[in-house]
Parts: sequence; C-alpha cells; structure tokens
Amino acid sequence: MSEKKNIIHNHTHSDDHAHSQLPSDPELRVKAVETLLLNKGLIDSRTLDELIDTYENRIGPQNGAKVVAKAWVDEEYKKRLLNDATSAIRELSYQGRQGENMVVVENTPKVHNVVVCTLCSCYPWPVLGLPPTWYKSDEYRSRTVREPRKVLSEFGLSLDPKVQIKVWDSTAELRYLVLPMRPDGTENMDETELAELVTRNSMIGTGLPKEIK
Amino acid sequence: MSRLHDMGGRFGDGPIPVPRNNKNEVINFEPTFKHNWQAKAWAITLAAGALGEWNLDISRHYRECLPPKDYINFSYYEKWLAALTNLLIDKKLISLDELKEYVAAAKKGNLDKFSKQNVMLDDRTWLAEDVQKTLGWGGPSIRDTNVSPIFNIGDKIITQSYSPNENVNGGHTRLPTYAMGRVGKIHSYNKNHVFPDKNAHGLGESPLPLYTVEFKSSELWGISAEHENDSIFLDLWEPYFNPYKD
Repeated sequence: MSEKKNIIHNHTHSDDHAHSQLPSDPELRVKAVETLLLNKGLIDSRTLDELIDTYENRIGPQNGAKVVAKAWVDEEYKKRLLNDATSAIRELSYQGRQGENMVVVENTPKVHNVVVCTLCSCYPWPVLGLPPTWYKSDEYRSRTVREPRKVLSEFGLSLDPKVQIKVWDSTAELRYLVLPMRPDGTENMDETELAELVTRNSMIGTGLPKEIK
Repeated sequence: MSRLHDMGGRFGDGPIPVPRNNKNEVINFEPTFKHNWQAKAWAITLAAGALGEWNLDISRHYRECLPPKDYINFSYYEKWLAALTNLLIDKKLISLDELKEYVAAAKKGNLDKFSKQNVMLDDRTWLAEDVQKTLGWGGPSIRDTNVSPIFNIGDKIITQSYSPNENVNGGHTRLPTYAMGRVGKIHSYNKNHVFPDKNAHGLGESPLPLYTVEFKSSELWGISAEHENDSIFLDLWEPYFNPYKD
C-alpha cells in the first residue's frame, strides 16, 4: 500500500460557491457571464455563433449513419472500423473533439451493445452530435448499468433472454458507437438509402435501424 | 466517499424520459438546444475553456463539486453554467462583484455601462476562423510515454474498495462507486492516457495505462442482477485496481 500522503483538501466547499450568490435565472446569468467575457475580449461572439451553428446544423447522427451504412456494404471497411475505429471514421472526415479515441462495438444475433456515461454525459460528438436529453438524464445514467433490459424495454426494445447485453460505461476518453445489424430485406439498397435507415438510437444501442415496410 | 454525479446503479429513478410522437413511436430527433440560453451556456463553456486556464478534467470536477442540492435541482446546462461561473471567478477572469453589478443593472433596466463596442480581443481568445480546425483536432488524452502496462488481456483484477484518489479528499476520479471492490477481467489495453485523478487538480498529466475491464452483471449487482450473461465494461486506469487471485 502507498504511504499516507499529504492530502489536499478540496477547495470547493458548499458555503463558498460563487454561483450560489447569484440569481438562479439561467437566462440572466448566461447574459451576465457572456457580457463580461465579451467586454474583456476573452470570447468572441462570432466564435459562439460558429460553435452553435456547427452542432445544430453540421455535426449530428447523420454522420454516424454514413459510417454504419458504409460498414454494411463494405466488408473491408467494417474490418477497419472494428479494428481501429478512430482511423476508419476519419476516412469519412469525422474526427476531433469528444471523438479523439473511437471504439465501435458490433451488434450480432448473440450480442446487443448499449452505451451510457454514468458519471457525466460522455458521447461521441463527431459522429452523433451533442447528446439527447434522455441520455443526460439521471434515470438513464443510474439505471442502464443495473437494469439494461428494463431500460431498453422503455425504448420499445425487447431482447431475447439468450442475447447477451454488453453495457459500455464511458468512464474515460474512449467514445463508443454501436454498429447495429443491417435490417433484413435491404440487399438491394445502396449506401445512401441504407444511411436513411440508421437511427440515432440504434447507434447508442437504445433502438434498432428502421425496418423496410 | 462518492458525490451525487456518481449515480450508476442507484435505485429510485423513474422511467427514462423517452420522447415519443402522437403515434407513440420513439422520436430520434430533437433540437440540439431547446433554449437559446442553453446554447450560449454550452458555447461559452467551450470558448472560455479554450483560454487554457483549465483542462477538461478540472471543468468536469467543478460540475461534480456543485452542492448536492444544486446538482439535483439544476437542469443539465444550469450545472454547466454554475460550474463555469465558479471557474471563471476562481481563475480571476471575472469577479463576483462584476457579476453582481451586471445583475443589479439588468434589474434596473439600465445596461448602458455594459454596452461596449470595438473591444480588443485578448491574445488567447478563440477566433471563429479557428473553430473548425480546433474542433477537428480535439483534445487527445493519449500520451506517448515509456510506461508499459503491467496487466495482460484476460487478467483478473479487483478494483479499489475506496475512491482511489490519493492526493485529494473528495477528489476527482473516474472509478464509479458501483464498480469499487469488484472483480473484473481485462478486455483491452488502450494505450496511456492523461490521469484525471491528478489532472483535475492541476497536479500534472501523469499519463498511465488505460484498460477496458469487463464485469459480469452478477458480480456488480449480486442477486438483483437482471441476467447472469450480461456484462458491463468500464474504462479504468491502472491505479484503479490490483491483480486478483482466485
């Protein structure tokens, strides 16, 4: 065992939190912080606009859907994706913040994967965008590791008891993307059509791709 | 001991708030931000982070350190905003007095003093034209070091029984309470990554081997495990566990 070290006492005690001395109205508080930082030249409003526009309009689950569709039609790509997801995803120009180290986990007839972050809200931004509200909820964070089958049933997903569930709790800087199974009856569809079937939830593991009607 | 954010396995939470349409089908799309202030709280957090006064682990720890009553009551982006406010003040980028002054002026409806034009940007300020480049690079946590992993794939390990942060009482760690003192199996080794337990406290990056460890659900939950075949995988740094001998 290690020797007793000099323990640093955490400086943040509940009685000296600056935030608690300010009004709780988030709109007012955001405006206050934003204005002070803008006036000091520490942030630029054009940067805020660019960031918000990027994640509202350019980065989202449509990116991950293209990765999945490519893996469904291209066996060699799928091998690369499962072997080194970060590089394979970068082939489609998706990379960077909150996706620096990607791992792709494959659903099979015997295994169903589902991703959670119990400690915060870690999520693969470059391929899925920012996480949906339910992913960040206490309910999802607390229950998915303990009762994944019940959680999945609330998403309308009932799995055969013989299927093994693997839950991936993103506790470090690895980011997980689920590769769902290709739906039956899609043999004649091309990559673009297939990407339309890939739902966001199917890439988190709380859903399946759309079925062919 | 644990903090409120460390909620994996907790009892008492209700149904997942799954959005559904009027045909009761699960909705897969929702706006990235529901309110403009949420978008702003998120974007300011990223832009202020780019000033380099703190790292990702520090900002995470600030969110975890919110008083329990606030952590419970605040919505997601209110937590971000509160942690950011505390960080900005602790790092002396803005002061509490300035914030209070703004709030008072806003309540009086007279913000003339705060309306500034042609502000000179700080040298550190993140520019709009660099946003895509910086996002694309991200903030990799892998470090090339000569530290070799001491565990092999398939090795059995047992996690620490208490919070493994040796330096700070109530300090940051990424070993969740629900997986403390449990036996698992090394699934993979993922190179050496910045160690959050130190980095969150400004004690250096100390990159260490990061493994993915598999735990059987019955090992974590005992008789309340839903299904004996199911597994939970966690990404854990080497100091979080010891070898396990049957």
